[in-house]
Amino acid sequence: MRLLLVEDDHDLQTSLAEILRGAGYAVDVSGDGIEGLFFGQEYPLDLAIIDLGLPGLPGLDLIRKLRKQERQFPILILTARADWQDKVEGLEAGADDYLTKPFHPEELKARVGALLRRSAGHAQPSVELGPLKIDLVSQRVFNGEREIDLTTYEYKVFEYLLMHPDAVVTKTVLAEHIYEEDNDRDSNVIEVFVGRLRRKIDPEGLLNPIETMRGRGYRLNKLTRPI
Amino acid sequence: MSKVSIEAHQQKPWSLRTRLVVLAVLLLTVSLGLVGFALDAAFHRSSEAGLQARMESLVYLVLGATEVAENGVLVIDENPGDPRLAQPGSGIYASVSGAQDRWDSVSSLGVNLPEPVLIPTGESQFLPASEKTGGYYIFYYGVSWELTQGRMLPVTVTIFVDPQELQPELRAFRSGLWQSLGLAGLILVLAQVILLALGLRPLRRISEDISGIESGKLERLEGNYPVELEPLQRNLNHLLETEQANQARYRNALDSLAHSLKTPLSVIRSSLPSDDSPKTVAMDHAVTDMQHLIATRLQRAAASARSSNAPAVDVKIQLERLVSSLKRVYSQQLINIDVLIEPELAFYGEQRDFLELTGNLLDNACKYGAGQVRISAHTMDTEDDRVGIRLQVDDNGPGIAEDKREQLLQRGVRGDERVEGHGLGLAIVLEIVNSYHGEISIEQGELGGACVNITLKTR
Repeated sequence: MRLLLVEDDHDLQTSLAEILRGAGYAVDVSGDGIEGLFFGQEYPLDLAIIDLGLPGLPGLDLIRKLRKQERQFPILILTARADWQDKVEGLEAGADDYLTKPFHPEELKARVGALLRRSAGHAQPSVELGPLKIDLVSQRVFNGEREIDLTTYEYKVFEYLLMHPDAVVTKTVLAEHIYEEDNDRDSNVIEVFVGRLRRKIDPEGLLNPIETMRGRGYRLNKLTRPI
Repeated sequence: MSKVSIEAHQQKPWSLRTRLVVLAVLLLTVSLGLVGFALDAAFHRSSEAGLQARMESLVYLVLGATEVAENGVLVIDENPGDPRLAQPGSGIYASVSGAQDRWDSVSSLGVNLPEPVLIPTGESQFLPASEKTGGYYIFYYGVSWELTQGRMLPVTVTIFVDPQELQPELRAFRSGLWQSLGLAGLILVLAQVILLALGLRPLRRISEDISGIESGKLERLEGNYPVELEPLQRNLNHLLETEQANQARYRNALDSLAHSLKTPLSVIRSSLPSDDSPKTVAMDHAVTDMQHLIATRLQRAAASARSSNAPAVDVKIQLERLVSSLKRVYSQQLINIDVLIEPELAFYGEQRDFLELTGNLLDNACKYGAGQVRISAHTMDTEDDRVGIRLQVDDNGPGIAEDKREQLLQRGVRGDERVEGHGLGLAIVLEIVNSYHGEISIEQGELGGACVNITLKTR
């Protein structure tokens, strides 16, 4: 999952980016509203975290502009102004949730996770896929009682597919959403991740949880899709 | 008009209209009184002059009836031509004094007249009624009667007139005078009242406009006022603008203070290691304390910057905004928020305060309730909706234990303690309720959960 963090305070930006990366997200950062708008328009994002008090372009205007351009990813507002007036204005501008400074990093992770799940249509923090159970909060995957040990990138790939259950996801899209802009992306690596992921979650090859649509990409298996 | 006046602790000063009317009545009474006395005196003088002329003609009448014998004895007709001289006690008396004898008219029979004096020939003298004249008007006229052989007999004719003679005339004049002066006074006072009503109309208009500003219908004084009121209009508008600007500046200062404090706090918090070591916990608590202080103290300061003339807040529109925002935030949890508001209910306070209060209450209800939330709002006084509003927020959550309710409210008032759960939001709610001199209570609600009752006074 790829996030955009727009926060003008450099120290806070650095430490939040670190926390979010630690939670397994690809994070693009920006320190002002105009650059944030550019990123929001150009990058394939799954969620944006936007501070309201931004130089260049105020956070509220940034949100309005993104929504006007049909950018529908969830937006979480960070605000130092705890007023409901500001919260209501932010939500009316098109944001989906708010977080008041100073917040707990855990709270931020929980809100981000909840927004991503919500946009994927999952109300519950865990998803069941046949015998597989995926806890989206703790980012752990179980097959029955047995926990499957996944690397960060394997989990990222699996999570992205879970969050887009109806879509055929190309290797490029996967690469875009699990890597940040600055990373050197190689879509062939995705094939390696998917291969390893299949072997780990379905060692006997009975479930086929990830279908390959030849020449098009991958899709979560409809037969075992969560209800 | 009284609405605008500042509440006075002592007795209220008289209204301008009463002052002006009372002063006008006093002034008119004094000046019309003086005019009356002057006219009365002038009339008195002119009727005395008339009397003198009449007395003079009586002298000629008496002289016409007078004969002097050769021996100097006066021979005078009993009725010299005026019947009142022949009627005893008629009020008009004549007396003719010669060298040896004296003739008195029949009318002076039994009347105690002063002793006539002799005055030189060819002179006349008019004495107005006084103590010296025994209370009579007296007219002396000196003549000489030519006797044979060129002898001259000096004779003085004296006419006495009782002052009662003038009374009917004076009485009629006086009653006419005071009646017309009273009528004139009355007309003048009425005219004054009408003039005042017309003249003070712009003042009444300006006071109505100020009430309009008070109730939020107007932002400034825009009316077309007379020249004399223009400086007042200008100054009031200037005052309003300055107040608004100051408030905006104050609020911006508070905002930027909050912003600049909270971001470093976020940095501290996000830099804390994610463990449960006592150090981390202590730091985290310290940050929470500071967060709490900023939120409650800034709220208090912002409340003190509240405008005395806040425009009316449409309760329905603001609650609808809030509810749709909250539904967005809690979109996963299928929360049903019922809003029960009196039609056209207005809150005469700050919109920011209203949103902050109801936002925190509804947020808590959504967070701790089980999907069912109800907010109702009513005016405190059906006669005057400026008095304030009554709010009730209900949820179907577990509620708040009876022994904890008081504690929660107490903590919120002190505002400097760490409180969990309902904590910070409720502390801000308490700050706002206090700043509006309102009341708050928590009880078991109809929906089964906590039910928060609040009153906010806006007058």
